[in-house]
This record gives sequence, C-alpha cells and structure tokens, in this order.
Amino acid sequence: MTTSRREFMKWVSAGGITLSLSRLAVAGQVAFPAHETLPGLGKFNPAIGGAGRVDGVAKVTGSKLYASDFRASDMPGWPTKTSHAILVRAPDATHVYLGMDLARLGGALKPTVIVTADDLAKINTRVPAFYEGDLFCPVGKTPLYLGQPVALLIFEQFDAYDRARIALRDGTFVKFGEETGPIEMPNYAAYRFTRVAGATPDAQDVYSPVLAGWVTPGRVQASSLPVWSSLAHTNEAVYAKAAIHGDKIRAEITASENSALVLDRTFDTQSVDPMFLEPECGLGWYGAKDKALELVLGVQSPYEAADSIAFLLGEAKAPYKPARINAQFAYVGGGFGGRDHTPFVLYVALAAMFFPDRPVRLAHDRYQQFQGGIKRHAIKMRSRMSVDRASGKITAFAADHILDGGGLANFSPNVATCAATAAIGIYDVPKVDVTTVAQHTRGVTAGSMRGYGSLQTMTALEVLIDEAATALPLDPIDFRRRNALKQDGRTMTGNPYIVSVRTTEVLDKLEQHPIWKQRDAEKARAASGMLVGTGVACVTKDYGTGGDCSNGRVELSPDGRIAIYCDHVEMGNGIGTALANRVARHLGGIADEVAVSQVGVFDALELVTSGDCYTMDQKTQDKAEKDTRWVPAISSATSASIGAHVGTHASAEAARVIFRFGLWPAALALWKIDRRDPRSKDWNKAVWKDGLLTLAGQPSLPLAILAATAHARNLVTGAVAHGFSRWSWSRARFPIDGQQYRAEIDGLAVRRGAGKFTRIVRSSVLFPPTNNNRMGTAYTSMCGTTVRVEIEKATGALRIAKAYSVFECGQALVPEVVLGQAQGGFAMGVGYALLEDLPPFESGPGNGKWNLGDYLVARGSDLPLRDMEIEMMPPQTPDELPKGMAEVVMIPIVPALLNAIHDATGKRFAALPVTQAMLKGALA
Amino acid sequence: MTTLGITINGQVHAPTDVRDDLSMNDFLREYLGMTGTKFGCGAAQCLSCAVIVDEPDGSSHTTPTCVLPAASFHGKTIRTVEGHARNGELSPLQKAFITHFAFQCGYCTAGFLNEGQVFLERLEKTPVPRMGLEELIAEALDGHLCRCTGYVKYHEAVRDVILAEPKRYLTQEPRG
Repeated sequence: MTTSRREFMKWVSAGGITLSLSRLAVAGQVAFPAHETLPGLGKFNPAIGGAGRVDGVAKVTGSKLYASDFRASDMPGWPTKTSHAILVRAPDATHVYLGMDLARLGGALKPTVIVTADDLAKINTRVPAFYEGDLFCPVGKTPLYLGQPVALLIFEQFDAYDRARIALRDGTFVKFGEETGPIEMPNYAAYRFTRVAGATPDAQDVYSPVLAGWVTPGRVQASSLPVWSSLAHTNEAVYAKAAIHGDKIRAEITASENSALVLDRTFDTQSVDPMFLEPECGLGWYGAKDKALELVLGVQSPYEAADSIAFLLGEAKAPYKPARINAQFAYVGGGFGGRDHTPFVLYVALAAMFFPDRPVRLAHDRYQQFQGGIKRHAIKMRSRMSVDRASGKITAFAADHILDGGGLANFSPNVATCAATAAIGIYDVPKVDVTTVAQHTRGVTAGSMRGYGSLQTMTALEVLIDEAATALPLDPIDFRRRNALKQDGRTMTGNPYIVSVRTTEVLDKLEQHPIWKQRDAEKARAASGMLVGTGVACVTKDYGTGGDCSNGRVELSPDGRIAIYCDHVEMGNGIGTALANRVARHLGGIADEVAVSQVGVFDALELVTSGDCYTMDQKTQDKAEKDTRWVPAISSATSASIGAHVGTHASAEAARVIFRFGLWPAALALWKIDRRDPRSKDWNKAVWKDGLLTLAGQPSLPLAILAATAHARNLVTGAVAHGFSRWSWSRARFPIDGQQYRAEIDGLAVRRGAGKFTRIVRSSVLFPPTNNNRMGTAYTSMCGTTVRVEIEKATGALRIAKAYSVFECGQALVPEVVLGQAQGGFAMGVGYALLEDLPPFESGPGNGKWNLGDYLVARGSDLPLRDMEIEMMPPQTPDELPKGMAEVVMIPIVPALLNAIHDATGKRFAALPVTQAMLKGALA
Repeated sequence: MTTLGITINGQVHAPTDVRDDLSMNDFLREYLGMTGTKFGCGAAQCLSCAVIVDEPDGSSHTTPTCVLPAASFHGKTIRTVEGHARNGELSPLQKAFITHFAFQCGYCTAGFLNEGQVFLERLEKTPVPRMGLEELIAEALDGHLCRCTGYVKYHEAVRDVILAEPKRYLTQEPRG
C-alpha cells in the first residue's frame, strides 16, 4: 500500500480521522522574530559556537514551554476551564483485580467520570500493536504487570481532583482477591549473534549475521527461556547453523582452559528510572460538535504518538471517534529515551474522549511516574572469554544475556539486540557467540533509555577486561590496545563501521593522562584509613537505529533572515541551536527562527512510503523506488544521540541547495563573473567569514545583499529536503538549472524568489541496501574514562577524587552543548554505578510508593565538579560529519569506577549499584 | 479555608481563600497560572519548585513549594523565575546561565536561578574570601537536582557572575 503523508495519516487511523501535528509555540509569544531567537539576533555567529541556546531566554524567564505548563486557558480557541484526571494503577500483579473502593471519595470528591476496561470494550478502542496488552486491567483478571492502569478518574474541579489524589495516595482502594501468581507470557525476543572470522583479517568471514541473517531459536512451551543448543529439535535450519558455530566456540573456550586465560563471570545490572525532572503530562480537549480532538503532549516521538492515538480511536463507536486529531508538541523536561514510544499519551487521549467538551489534563506525580514510566532493563549476564597468554589477544568470547522487559514489550527486542551486539565493545574478537532473550515479567515496563543495552553489556565487558589484564598480567591500557578493533575491522555482526574508529587515539590519551600515570604514587600516598584506587575503561556506542529520517526546510527572506523547520524534537539536547549552526555554515548567518517538532511544513516533497524499512527485502525496495516520491520511511523518533547526525542533516542539505542555486549564482552576478568563466564553478572555494561571503580576488558580500539579489533574480531562496539513513544516507540526483545536482537526500523541493515550493523530481536514487538491516550498527563513537576514587575503610564512603573522560564526535555543531551533555552523561553514569537502584517487582516502583529520597540520583556533591576533565577530540578531518555522542559519554565512567574500586580494595563487584553499604560490608 | 495574602514579584495579590491542604506549588501553577515554578517530585527532594522568600529583616532564602501549604505563605513576599528580569532586561545570572549553556532541558533552571540569586545577594551583604568560593557555591546549590547537565556549567555561571562584581568577594583573607 502506497500512501502520501496525508493519506498515510488517514490510513493509519483506518476510519478517516485526519491528523495534524505541530510544535507548540511559547504561550503569548508567537510573532516571527519573538520566539526561539538567539540572543544577539542578527549578529553573525562564527562557524562554531554561539551566544547561547535558541531557547535560552524562554528557559530562564519561566515561559510556558513544557506540556505540564499548559492549561486550557493558555490555548487559543479552547474553553478556558481545565478538568483533571488521575490514572489509577495496580500495585499488585499476583492477585485477581476486583475493582476500586472509592468510598473515601464522597460528596464533592466524587469523580465526574470513571473510565475502566469495560468502557473501552464498549466503545471499541484498539490497542496499537506496539503497546499490546490491556490498556486497563479488567475486573476479574490479574494485572499483567505492576503499575498496569485500572481506571481513569476525571474531576471537573481542580480542588476535588487535588483532594482526591491525596486521599487515594496509599493505593489501598485498589482491591485484589485470589492469589494467582504472576501472568505468564512469551518472551519478547530471543536472538543469537554468532561470528566466526576467516583465517586472516582480510578473508571473508566463515559465518556472520551479515552473511546469514539474524537468527532466533525455537521455543519449548514448558520453558521460560529459549533452548539455545544446536541439538534442539524445535529449531529451524537457519538457527541450527548459527548454533553449531556457537556451540563450537563455547567448546573451544572450555577446551582452552589449560593453555589460555579463560574467565567465566556473571554480572547483573539493576533497573533504573530515567528520572527526567518533568513527570509525564498531557492536555486534551474533544469538541463533540466538531468531532475534533485537540492534544498538547511532550514526547520524543511525536509522529508515533499521534499515529498511535489515531489507531486507538480509529474504529471507536460514535460519539467516541474523532473526525480530526490536532496534536501539538511541547518541549520536554528531559527524555533520556523514556519519552520515546510512551503509552502515557493514549490515556491523555482517552481522558479527553470520555469527558467531551471539557479540556482535561492528565499529569503524573512523581510516585506515579516511578510506578508507570518506562525503565531501563535489568540484565543478567554470563560472559566467557579466552585470551592467548603469549600475544595477549582475545581469541573467543561467548555470553548469555537475560533482560527483564517488564510488563509490555515496548522496545525490549531492540534493546536486547543492541545490548548483544555491543557485548564485545571496542574489541576485535574473531570468534563470538552471544545469546540474548528479553523476558516478560510482572515488573514495570522497560524500554528505551540512554545507553540502550550497551551500557549494561559494556560495563560487564570492561570489568571483565580489567580482570583479564590483571590476570595475564598486562597493563590494562596495553591489553585494550592489543585487542582494539581497527578502522576496517569487522564488528560482531560481520560489517565494519563506516565512520571513523579512533579507539587507539582515545587509549593513548587515557594512558598519557596524569590520573593514570600517577596511579601507583597516589595509591601509595593514601591517608591512614583511606583506600585509593584508579580505574580505566574505554567503550564505543552506536547511534542511529538503521532507519532514521530527517526532514528539513530552510527559507531565506529578501533581507537575509533565515528560518529553519525540522521534524526532530527539542529535549534539552540543543537540536535547535545545532540546526542554526549547521545551516550557518552554508548560509553565513544564524537563523532568526528555528521551529522543531514540525510535520506539515514538508508537504511540498509529496513523499509516499510503504512497507517496513527494517524488514523489507531488496526486491520490494527496488520496485517501490520507481515511484520518484517514494522513500523507505518519512519520519522517525528523536533521541539525543542522533540529533546532531540525523536531526540536522536535511536542513543542512536544504541550506546547501540554497547556497548552490541561490546565493552562489547571486554572488556571481554581483561579481560579474560569467557562467562560462571557470571561476563560476568555484563554489567550494568561497567561504563565509564574519557574515561575508569571500572569494579570493573578489569583494566580500554580505548575506543580506546576496539574499536580496537571489530574490530579485528569482533564484533558489528556499528548500525542503528529506533524508533516510539505513547505516548510510540515501543518495539521489536532482535536475536543477540544467545541472544534475547530487546529494545525500532522497526528496527535494525548492522555492524561487517569493514563489511556492515545487518538488524537484529526482532523476535517480540510491537507497541504502536492505541487507544493511543485518548490521548491528555502522555508526559509532568512542569514549574513554579514567577515574580515581578514595574510599574510607571504616564507613565505605566513596569520593570521586578526579576523573578524565575523552571522546570523539566528529564535527561538534555546538561544542558547549556537547560538553554539557558529556558532563551530564558522566553524572548519570555515576548515579548508575553507585546510587540508583529499583528493586524488582513488589518492593520496586510498581508498588506506587517510590519517590526521590528513596531513589538516589547524583547531586553536585557526588561529583568531582572541579576535578572532572572532559576532552572533546577535534574531528578527524575538517569535514568529518557530526557523530552522535549523548549516549557513549555516560558509559565508561561506570566500569572505570568498578575497576577503580577493585584497584583500591582488591574486591571485584559483579552487580550494580555498588553502594556505600556494600563497600562497607566488603571492607569489614 | 485560609485567606492568603501574598506579594509575588513585587505585585500584591488580593486576599484569596485557599484550602488548608492546597500546596503552594499548586497555588502558583493552578490558581495563578505561574508555571515557571516547576513541579518535580512533590517531596522537597529536587527543588525544581523552589522560590525565593524575602523576609522583613531584609534577608532572603529559598523554599520548596511542593510540600508546603499555600496558607503558610500568608503575608509573605516571594520571588519566582518570572520576576528576575526587569523591564525586559535579564538579570546578570539569567544572562550567565544562557551564555554558559548552563541548562539543557531547562526544567530545573528556575530552582537553580532562585538559589543562585539568593546566594549572590548574600555575598553582596557578606562577601566571602575568593579562596573557597567554589566550595560555597557547591554547598549553596547542592540541594538542587539536574538530570541533564552534570552541574558544572551552573556552578561556573554563578562563579563568573560573582567574580564580575568585586564587592561580592574578598581578594584577600580577612585578618583574624
């Protein structure tokens, strides 16, 4: 089925609901130059860096920006009064749910509307496949997971709502009966990644996922875990082939115990909460007369959120089926993955639908956010590694991972595969066999969170590597260098990275840093009663999903003002500022307006799509691409780590088109250089300097003059572009002004002068091959950390004395934002290693009793604020593209801390977090 | 019910009847629509909800609003994030937060701004030795949680505003 963007929306709603999405403006500030404007408007920003963030003024003045800031009275055209809803969740998942006892909500506290599973069944809602499971636990069933919603209570008045939520806080009004034990469900996903390298590094692999495809084992009904053995009769031949290689690798590891260093270790990581500071919140209003559902939401995946709501209500009975959904997206108060594909938005929509004509606000408090928000997967790992003692080379690695996916599948399959394919970290290992299974449990749903599985498996690996280095013995950095994957080496899935691999440079910097060089002297100098230790770790983290989209629109006004529109979301990652800076490199000036979370402004591209870009075969793609409007996917979710690489790509390419076919020919005209003059091809020699376009031998030209000339001569003054990346960008040729323009985009529309945008029909296209879906990743960034700790023997109190992290990210678009993200990642890593912990099941967050105070995150006093050195390596080449870095920067501090603790205490901890109480116990 | 009279950002608000169990945070956000003061945890642990209280003796301090009843603010004078800029001109600390890229998502910014402002004003009255300034900044801001930034740039912004105004610190140790 092929559909246009608009038709696509109608199609997914399967019943004629029209969807529109837009970015929510700052309340009360909607004029063109008045919002999202950098300080120093109109001033030229040097190629790198700026005077602040585009959202800086709004954020320091308390402007309404976040979904939780908006009430009905802030929304133009809405009724002014806001009603409020409570989402009631089950604090039990082993007993039959009997219903709610709301006797304590008498008189004015009585909810105006109560929505339960019965109500959803009556109106015929549908649950989007991604969120499969009852949206509300029906009476008579055992909840599928702790924290599963059971009802929405809607209150017309704020005071009634406020008093009711206080009255209901203890959760005892949710009644349960007979004990059934937890609900058993199939695993969410199980995969085996096996690679056997050829005899030499250049030889073809004997076996790899890229060569043979990804494989999954059969299941045995009586077993909660897959049967991985190659001998299991339930497996298909394609799995058995991988399993035979994998079993052989494991047998070889066992057989090498006498001649090689073999380590066989377990490592367990805990569940944690993203703990973004703004609890999830949304505002909805369903106007029954117009059948229009208006929404204000704050998510990382706007397109998906609207799509899911449209599906939810697509076949609902009248009057519960909207004809139109208008979703507006606000800034988010932190995301870290936890707002990507969150089911919360479905309940916002339901609250609005069940109380028509009244705007309803649904907001988690922190207890509810702990009880219902997406968590990081706890993973149990067993790793085996064989190292040749003579060469210090890792010869084989095998591991088994079990992920606690919690109550709904969400992104568990993706996290499991990402974790597995990250299990050998920065290393080149010729024989690898990793199994992974993501299980359903009665815990709170786990999904996307910064680090995305790699954090867990690379922590286990880097601790194992440290132990191996000690046992060999080899210097830990030397051991890492001997085994580091080189630029053209192959990853576990059998493909090389297609971006720079700078592990050795990172290791060199770690080795030369005073923290590392002075480790023995500092240890010897430890004060009485103190233990001092130094640790090191080096990791790599993929960015991108293998199906990433970028939409960008750039416009240049006759007076040289620049406006940028992008489909990605601002979640603190500075995407708006990065866009402005990346476009400035082509257009010589900082944008006057940057609008994110946009969808409708790219319609001139007339894009269509079909199929699933992750699973389609080459033949299907080859056939589909004959339609010059077709792309493998139109829009994708935002994560901080892809913001720089993906989010800014299309806008940068649009700006490049404006320069090439607008400003450059305008400059030629002003310089009186004829088109036949060889200098007319020298666009690559022209550079922007202090807001002026300069070319040797010619007078420099300001942007405003060039823009006016481009408009006057009806040259290109605006462009809309679309890009798609499946571990490489689409490439296409477009006929413009008699030339075949090549670029890493697959859709383009341009505006001439003040005219309308017109699609340029691409003359050829090269989409990345579908076989790229077999790669684990091809984009990656490196980061290493060395850290010194001081531990008080008597109390186990740990202080991070000094730390140094070094990372590479290609061309940093906004170095200050990048540095800030690295500092924040470090802090989050410290919390993960030493503080944060959510126990599973009944004592965990699903019981509704968790808040900050019980849950500890890193404060300033937990960090070496003045002894935390972070180095951002310059790009490998001046034109190296930006690389995602927001995830990798939080990983190495975790194993580096554990390795430092070992250096200080001689104890190796095999589970997280390592708390003060555990240290005290170990030192007793 | 209690009658609440309060001055916010220099503006006297007419006495309002409020429930005794209405939180100050909800009074600001739901009754007055002043959502610059955030709600983070409801347990006085993150301080994204902190506002400045100006006491009659001329001293100022911050307080969380999420766990305190609005009624307890009767007769008080407070400042919120919406009140720092004057006539459209940002305060030095607001400017410093922007130029230092101190925040990312910005949800904790109001709390840090209020705490930093109180600290600056305290130093104007009682300058501290330059040596040890960073520790005092760290102590002053430590109650505030930020999940994005790692705190460094907030601290640097506060430090640089202090150092830009010589009356806020002593270049030499006081003689003892």
